[in-house]
Amino acid sequence: MISLRADRRDLAAGARTMVPWLAGIVPFGLVIGVSAAQADIPTLAGWLTGPVIFAGSAQLATIGMLDAGAAPMAVVAVALVINVRLIFYSATMARHWRGTPWWWRLVAGYLLVDPSVAVGLEGYRRLGRGRGHAHYLGGAVLLWVSWLAAIGIGITAGTRLPAWLHLEFVIPLYLVGQAISKLADPALRRAILVAAAVALLALPAPLQLGITLAIATGVAAGLTEVRR
Amino acid sequence: MNAWTVILAAGLGSYLFRLSMIVLFERITMPAYLQRASELVAPAAFAALAAAGVATACGGLGLTRAAAPLVAVAAAVVAVLRTGSAQAAILAGMPALWVATALLPT
Repeated sequence: MISLRADRRDLAAGARTMVPWLAGIVPFGLVIGVSAAQADIPTLAGWLTGPVIFAGSAQLATIGMLDAGAAPMAVVAVALVINVRLIFYSATMARHWRGTPWWWRLVAGYLLVDPSVAVGLEGYRRLGRGRGHAHYLGGAVLLWVSWLAAIGIGITAGTRLPAWLHLEFVIPLYLVGQAISKLADPALRRAILVAAAVALLALPAPLQLGITLAIATGVAAGLTEVRR
Repeated sequence: MNAWTVILAAGLGSYLFRLSMIVLFERITMPAYLQRASELVAPAAFAALAAAGVATACGGLGLTRAAAPLVAVAAAVVAVLRTGSAQAAILAGMPALWVATALLPT
């Protein structure tokens, strides 16, 4: 059962376990905020990706593809395929949440994402099931608040800072960094290089089909590497 | 569908993914290729958006000014390869962009 009143120390412990994660998460949130401010979509819609989607890679891809004018169904499809991993996280936590009240599963499930799962699992391992719930909640709520704040600050910076800073270029640079740092894995390398090449070749493609085509071709190319 | 609907649809779908195993099903087995494809989509999407973003940044500029984004990307690539940290791309790339923009003739 969940008795949050008695678990203030476990909530705090979960929040403390989340703190090191924030070093990587806050800059990511800032980049998403800047991209939301620069993109050709309503700024509030860009910020809403935070509470509504609450998963950085899918948010960045959604904002980037909407900005590029990609077909709506393609944007939703890409965001959902990126988030398929949430089903695995759901399966991982199902073990610990079996028999808990509905409200708990609806709230705790909403907060499921890479860092909250990692912090949550550490709590269940260290403190056991009862106290682990509070540990999870402490970490996940701190993550949620920091994430939404970082996106908000990124949006403010993206709209207020002078044009000569060329903040719009932070987004391609961030994406380049992510791509280059994953080149060691053969399947990822193939997916990344093919996707980038197709995106460049398909720049003149009509209806902004280029990005969607590039992602599909890149994923297909990466899958061929796995099969060999 | 406008931007709002796209974001709400992606968010609703993601929430259903989150709830799938803890509320809706006890356990289903996912095909392995779907998991692998899922791991490939974000890197492929990021690479495609990066390539298109850099090309767009260069496209609106004259021949000499277009070199500034490319200098920044080159600095970012070198920094990530040398440090092994993805964050180094912004830390090295943005100053390179400012310097190159200031030095290159308009």
